[in-house]
Amino acid sequence: MSEFLVLVVPMWVVFTLAAQGTILSGRTGVFNVTQEGVMALGASVGFLVSYKMGSNLVGLLIAFLVGALVGLVLAYMTTQLRLDQFVVGLALFFATTGAAGLLYRQVIGVTMTPPRVDTLPKFEIPLLGDLPLIGDALFVQDYVFYFAVILSLVMFWFLQHTSAGLDFRSVGENPKAADSLGINVTWARTWSTVVGTGLVAVGGAYIPLPFTGIYTDGMIAGRGWLVIALAFLGGWRPLYVVAGAAFFAAMDVLGQKAQVLGLGIPHQFIEMLPFVATLLVMVFALRWARQPAHLGMNYDRESRLVG
Amino acid sequence: MSTMQKSETGPGGSPPVAKPEARGPGILTNIAWTVVPYVASVVLAFFLGGLLIQLMGYNAVDALRAVLTSSFDTSFGMVETLHKWVPIVLCAYAFAIPLATGKFNIGAEGQMLLGATGGAAVGITFSDLPMVVLLPATLVAGVLAGALWAGIAALLLVRFRVNEILSTVLLNFVSFKLIDWVATRVWPDAGAGHPATTPVGDGARLPLLGSAPAMHSGVLLVLALAIFIAVAMRFTPTGFEMRAVGDNLRASMVNGVRTSRLAGAGLVIGGGLGGLAGAIDVAGVHGRMLEGMQSNFLILGIIVGLMARGSMLALPVVAFGIAVLEYGAGTMQLVSAVPVEMVLVIEALILLLLLLSDLVRDRLRSAR
Repeated sequence: MSEFLVLVVPMWVVFTLAAQGTILSGRTGVFNVTQEGVMALGASVGFLVSYKMGSNLVGLLIAFLVGALVGLVLAYMTTQLRLDQFVVGLALFFATTGAAGLLYRQVIGVTMTPPRVDTLPKFEIPLLGDLPLIGDALFVQDYVFYFAVILSLVMFWFLQHTSAGLDFRSVGENPKAADSLGINVTWARTWSTVVGTGLVAVGGAYIPLPFTGIYTDGMIAGRGWLVIALAFLGGWRPLYVVAGAAFFAAMDVLGQKAQVLGLGIPHQFIEMLPFVATLLVMVFALRWARQPAHLGMNYDRESRLVG
Repeated sequence: MSTMQKSETGPGGSPPVAKPEARGPGILTNIAWTVVPYVASVVLAFFLGGLLIQLMGYNAVDALRAVLTSSFDTSFGMVETLHKWVPIVLCAYAFAIPLATGKFNIGAEGQMLLGATGGAAVGITFSDLPMVVLLPATLVAGVLAGALWAGIAALLLVRFRVNEILSTVLLNFVSFKLIDWVATRVWPDAGAGHPATTPVGDGARLPLLGSAPAMHSGVLLVLALAIFIAVAMRFTPTGFEMRAVGDNLRASMVNGVRTSRLAGAGLVIGGGLGGLAGAIDVAGVHGRMLEGMQSNFLILGIIVGLMARGSMLALPVVAFGIAVLEYGAGTMQLVSAVPVEMVLVIEALILLLLLLSDLVRDRLRSAR
């Protein structure tokens, strides 16, 4: 059980970072669907920079910047040019997926043994790290894990307890009303999308760092789409997302370990679990999960239609 | 004047056919306003792609020539391009038909794989039957399997209001595992060296046309289907209702169109076509169901579906253009060592520039 938790926690970090990034822009009404590609690009860029510079931290930071740049394109095309959010998101998903593989092939080429970067060192919090069962999983971790925990708390505090957070949320609920109160809708949407997409990229960049240290094409394997589902299921709230990410991470690890578990059912059916479970939960999610009223809708202040 | 929800530049946007009320400028002017920005976007995307290739240290002219011309250099290239065109155009319909009703089907690859599994199941189980019976049965099984798979998403959408974007995407990943099980446990071919089923019976194979580089007859089947779809969307009541729902959901509802049922039907039809893509590839190209046969047809289908701007007439033509690029991508990697992913980047650029060209066009038009 303890070993299982040690595997779950890094996946929790991936889901949490990417999903917090998704809900940040979602709360201002920008429905980001670039995750699957941006996470791949983050993983590719983060890996390559770490490999060349010898520093994981620089890799993660550059991955954030590249993700933020994609976010800026998404924000500009949807707020300033008012192009359909989903269609622009899909186009950026294709472009980033292509760019991820292209960059890796350009820098590394085709090799017999894939190059590796160092995995992240783990820090132990004194005393707490000795706790049975959860000690190893929660208190002997790398700095990205602690960052994800703090980020989640900051997101909660920012959205629920600051006036800027209230402005952000009002833009997602009713941009026209927010605009009439002097809140800059374009500004709020741009910032949330830039930072949010950067976080998504960091989530992707973190995937190789805890264990393998290698990048492979297709390593995101649908997690980007699961992140969107997680944002929906978490009702676009930071703390619900933290809990949901634990569920998604557990399913993910179960799927990864299916082949060695030997439960008597073909392992493929256990590997389906993350996806099937998500579909089932979504059926019931309607009862609790609500979403920002203007999620996915562009705002045009000159339009006469009332949102 | 763009509305809050979806501006005219949206995916289901106005078809590139002259609207009857546009009396002022002639039809020719209207066509020019559609064609010129389109061509400009494509040219600009290739220019930017070429620039990128040059910056990466390759010869851009050689690379782009390989991408654009290798389909037409040999008859083998043409046949291969047409074989790629079949799944691309069917996956594009799988995306575009639900889109006509305002729904996004991102599940074409899952539907294609299920269709391939359905076709292979019939082709393997009844391998002794003569072709007159077995071939149609194989294709129909593929259509039904694909429709059934999309039907799950349609049911979740209509009954439980589960977002169809997510349900169709998630079903793709379920299908990968499902076919892995079929290819390694149910009908495994140990000698294949790659997860694949045993070959289907000879009666399940599509007849080949021509000699040496032979083309399978599925190409003609899809060509006929393309004409049928273009006519049906334009001239049948159901086609009209679908377009109406996509253009104005509220107006259609008020006028008594059963919108949610129609949206579900669109998904199921799209899934059936995706399934047909899988069955044709089994019957025409591979002769078996194998893992990875979905290639990147999902992404290509979406790109084609969006680039066709809601016109079922333009869709097969655009799909042919993309098939040429995709066949050329392989040659490009051989000739100039540029990674194949470059073509995906160029295709995404075409799409983005196409969206931008709408804005430029509207601005120029209103400025006149």
